[in-house]
Amino acid sequence: MEIKIAYLYSHQLNLYGDRGNIIALCRRAEWRGIRPVVVEIGLGEKADLKEYDFIFLGGGSDREQQIITADLLRYKGHSLVEAVEEGTALLSICGGYQLLGQFYRTATGEEIKGIGLFNAYTVAGKGRLIGNIVIETEIDGFKRMVVGFENHSGRTYLGAGVKPMGRVLAGYGNNGEDGFEGAVYKKAWGTYLHGPLLPKNPFLADLLLRQALEKRYGPVELVPLKDGLETLTHERIVERFGKKKKKLFAGILSKI
Amino acid sequence: MSLPSIKTLLAVWLGKGIACVNRTLGRGGTSLPGMAALKVDPALIKKLVSQHRQVIVVTGTNGKTTTNNILAGILIRAGYRVAWNRAGANMKSGIATALIENTSLLGKARTSTALLEVDEATVPLVLADLQPAIMVVTNFFRDQLDRYGELDKTVALIAEGAKKIPGLKLILNADDPLVASLAQRTGRDSYFYGVAASRWVSRVPEQVREGCHCPFCSHCLEYAYYHFSQLGNYRCPQCGFSRPPVHWEAVDPDMAPGITFYLQEKEERWRLSLPLEGYYNLYNVLAAAAAARFMGIDQKIVAEAVRTYTPQTGRMEEFNIGGKRVLLVLVKNPAGFNQVLRSLLLKEGPLNMVIAINDLDADGKDVSWLWDVNFEMLAKAPVGKIICTGLRGADMAVRLKYAGIPEEKLRIIDDREEAVEEGLNLIGPGETLYVLPTYTNLFPMSKILSSRQGKRK
Ligand SMILES: [Zn+2]
Repeated sequence: MEIKIAYLYSHQLNLYGDRGNIIALCRRAEWRGIRPVVVEIGLGEKADLKEYDFIFLGGGSDREQQIITADLLRYKGHSLVEAVEEGTALLSICGGYQLLGQFYRTATGEEIKGIGLFNAYTVAGKGRLIGNIVIETEIDGFKRMVVGFENHSGRTYLGAGVKPMGRVLAGYGNNGEDGFEGAVYKKAWGTYLHGPLLPKNPFLADLLLRQALEKRYGPVELVPLKDGLETLTHERIVERFGKKKKKLFAGILSKI
Repeated sequence: MSLPSIKTLLAVWLGKGIACVNRTLGRGGTSLPGMAALKVDPALIKKLVSQHRQVIVVTGTNGKTTTNNILAGILIRAGYRVAWNRAGANMKSGIATALIENTSLLGKARTSTALLEVDEATVPLVLADLQPAIMVVTNFFRDQLDRYGELDKTVALIAEGAKKIPGLKLILNADDPLVASLAQRTGRDSYFYGVAASRWVSRVPEQVREGCHCPFCSHCLEYAYYHFSQLGNYRCPQCGFSRPPVHWEAVDPDMAPGITFYLQEKEERWRLSLPLEGYYNLYNVLAAAAAARFMGIDQKIVAEAVRTYTPQTGRMEEFNIGGKRVLLVLVKNPAGFNQVLRSLLLKEGPLNMVIAINDLDADGKDVSWLWDVNFEMLAKAPVGKIICTGLRGADMAVRLKYAGIPEEKLRIIDDREEAVEEGLNLIGPGETLYVLPTYTNLFPMSKILSSRQGKRK
């Protein structure tokens, strides 16, 4: 078995730690004898994304976002939407998530068109939403907590036909108002949980791995891995940051 | 000369008082006295620094503390009376603390040269007050706190500030395109140092790519070779911006044990040895030597001061605990961590480490940057055991696992003292344990190691 991964704009969308997700997918595939093939697809390159099992887009600086949006619309957007419609799995983070929506409205009111994979839009907000975040989501019928770190000024609002990835337990999420975080359409995921999301949430990594493999191989069972270290990391983040009240209380205590 | 105002005197006394209490309690508080004093007299820095005959500023992302301390050693040996912030407290409060320490109770400076390490984001805020004659710039790397183009903004602000200081001379790292660009951006007289191509350079880049884009036209830079990160011999194919010719060049560097190289100045070439390790320290000693030579200090004095340099806490500080060697090295961002790892790979024998990662304000709350460190280079190295500690020790262990370090070589021990104890148990006499903490773990680790060193003497 192999998994073919398209890593879009790896040179531009490479803010801290995002490539940790590619590392995690590759290792978790290799540990099960599945061969990962990562193809980096950059600016100006055309690609038939339907050939891939998995597509990844990370976060970028605001300056890079505009260049990428233009390139994506011109060379890859159409193929990316087709790929997702045909069952390719996708993970997009922060800036990558935003540009898969309908549009991004800047502080000056200008609307930058996105590729519209997610029926969602983003508005530039005052002040950045920064900090550890814990959300609750449902995976294979089980409630799971997903942990991460967010740092974004855009506020994203979901429209019809797209589900949130989860409910915010602590942190801000899509917009800091409606209590939702991320977006899911078919097997495409968008989230503000940046950096090494998958190594910190191994069950999510495996879900994405399964969704990617399904496209070519049909339903697959993955051999369980020893996830002691990953689970410990996950639990500690839930413990420290998962409860808003507790965090507030600890904050007051530390000031006394 | 005017008399200091009552406000200034009160500020100095308060600062000195707090410093005195700190010393009595055995606390190494390096910014608290300045912070309190600045509340009393916000113009204190300007008032104290203006009493100095010359002011030198050292800035950049990595290596400024070491560069500053080496330069201080050289200046003192050359007979200068120097006020400098030796412990790396490089914000306004740290600068004020260093100046207060060298001011008399009557508010008069006891020193004639102020040598100040300044945080790169603080430079634009204090440059007008400091009015430096010389500014040394080491490098500009993305720090863990920097996201969304903050670094570009900072460099632009530094350039703006430098433009407004008449007669300012810049000593710049020619190998870093962002630093070298300051010459054109400010129009100030600039003098360059750099490292020549040697067997240490690489033809391929690392993953950390801050400087891929030309600072002038944003086109991707072409490199003949890389030293590390974006440091190397670069050229922009679009606008022609390239590594400028250097006035001081490090030639033929040798890395172990210690750093030895020849400093090429015009036709002349002379030897320097520094009892530190790591390729990045080559840049630090080079920057300090370049500044000293620019000031006209004799080669012999420079060489002697460099040879006898003793590192400060966390800048490759060495401990001897019952015949076992411990090296304490601060890690704070991907570029710096990669350099530390590379220097460890040059060692012989098994690598045993304690890595202490925290996520408090001073460390950066987001530990995602660990995934941009190239720990994969350890996968093929003779790793003994790696003990992970600190608030984010578990995150560190996961990162190492995915870098290909076998899980049985990893341990998580939350208690720092226990982690050090376990680390020492791993090695025999004559062997080395490497302790790599983030900022808020640095001083606690130093304290633990110092007390262990004391006990076994
Ligand atoms: Zn250019």
